[in-house]
Amino acid sequence: MCGIVGFFAKDGGGQAEIGQTIVGMLRALGCRGPDSAGVALYGAPDDGRFAVRVKLGDAGDLESRAHRIISRLESFSGVSHFSTIGAYARFLVSGDTDLKQLTNAIESLDKDVEVVSLGHSLEIVKQTGSPDNLEKTYCVSRMKGTHGIGHTRLSTESRVDLSHSQPFWSHGYPDLAIVHNGHITNYHQLRRRYEQHGVRFYTENDSEVVAIYLAQQISKGASLQEAFERMLRDLDGSYSCLAATERELGFVKDTFALKPLVMTETDKFVAVATEEIAIRAALPGQYSVREAQVREVRVWRR
Amino acid sequence: MAEIVCGNRATREINADIKQAIAAGDRDIVVKDPGARHNLGVAVLAPVRIRFTGSVGYYCAGLSDGPHIEIDESAGWGLAESMMNGEIVVRGSAGNGAAAAIRGGTVVIHGDAAARLGVSMKGGTVLVAGNCGYMAGFMGQKGAIVVCGDVGDAFADSMYETVCFVGGRVAGLGTDAIVETPSKEDAAWLDATLAQHLPQARKRGQDFQKIVAGRKLWNFDKREWKVWQEAL
Repeated sequence: MCGIVGFFAKDGGGQAEIGQTIVGMLRALGCRGPDSAGVALYGAPDDGRFAVRVKLGDAGDLESRAHRIISRLESFSGVSHFSTIGAYARFLVSGDTDLKQLTNAIESLDKDVEVVSLGHSLEIVKQTGSPDNLEKTYCVSRMKGTHGIGHTRLSTESRVDLSHSQPFWSHGYPDLAIVHNGHITNYHQLRRRYEQHGVRFYTENDSEVVAIYLAQQISKGASLQEAFERMLRDLDGSYSCLAATERELGFVKDTFALKPLVMTETDKFVAVATEEIAIRAALPGQYSVREAQVREVRVWRR
Repeated sequence: MAEIVCGNRATREINADIKQAIAAGDRDIVVKDPGARHNLGVAVLAPVRIRFTGSVGYYCAGLSDGPHIEIDESAGWGLAESMMNGEIVVRGSAGNGAAAAIRGGTVVIHGDAAARLGVSMKGGTVLVAGNCGYMAGFMGQKGAIVVCGDVGDAFADSMYETVCFVGGRVAGLGTDAIVETPSKEDAAWLDATLAQHLPQARKRGQDFQKIVAGRKLWNFDKREWKVWQEAL
């Protein structure tokens, strides 16, 4: 199972109720994935700076972790707005920061410290438990923006914790995030190949390879549309997958149409979800919904 | 006429209300705001009319025997699955596996159907005004599939005696599917069936291709190993 949702506002000038819509959609899919819930929301870009969200750890004294991160950030320029909430620290950093250096400085603190999201407009918040609990802890529905994706997880093969939850940020590639429902059956083969080229995997969740794959393709110059089309050739198994960048939202459905995904598009918005119940629950009004076809790829761009 | 409002109630309560209305002698039931809930109107075994005034989720009208069920918007996976008899009409589109394994009755889809339409049908008829997706008709044993628009890849794969009619383009035939010339009886049946259920869907002068099983997979023959290799 697992539930995935995506919403793309065509108007609202970057001030659409993205958080509220995505959480509303996720709540309707809570029963598809009771293990964890997460969102990747795209707000208005903050004058070229990066917003960074760091998981402070799985347990222990998270406050002292936060202090140690602050001291490590002293060597970087333009760090501001440092705050902590729940298991996360969040701060802004100048747009010309060396991202590799930054993540190394933070993640070398301990093995359960992880940069969970980084981008001009991307904010990922995820944790174990229901969408209701995610909202209770982080008030994600308050966030306004342009588009977003979300996930409720029913774990089948890997651990249930914050890092194994979705959405996944494509580590090293700003603003690219994915959610995935399904299984990538050639995951181990792909992982071995990527690891031989020095790519770090943070989890044992097969969905992580989708984020890495798309980031690699886009880095090579592919558009999101082309990256999805290549994914149909290179990634085996069953998948309905959503990805978002600073300006785009898109989906791909696998070559056997094994996983559900429905979509609707009006002149005001695009909504995509595992089940129509999520779209109807969050978005009142008249519109028609249809199932995505086998091998279908769609990308919306602003 | 009975009116049932879904509101925030559980599917079990809504279905119980439907059964109760039938038991009380209602023959015309309207279910409001279904909100794409799953499992609505399953196992209705009486010749009643039920109308859902919105979208329904998975398995709507499954295991039906006799009702006329109308859905104003779209339907999720497994619409009318394993229906014995009845008529199920969807004004919008249908998700994967619509009319799968039906044994009788008619499923009418005014929009498009997604993947695996009418797989393993054992009787009955499914009609689609729009297009249908991947792998429709797979392992169909009896009954008929009519698609006025285009059909997806692997169409009519590994069938027994289901008969398919396609008004648009076929993206690709499945294993052992062959195109056959329709007989006069076929044409008459198609005219009558479309006139009854989807009078607007047929374009003027539109011809339909007939697709059936080539029967190569019905019995194993070592000399046809190549066909089997492809099928498996």
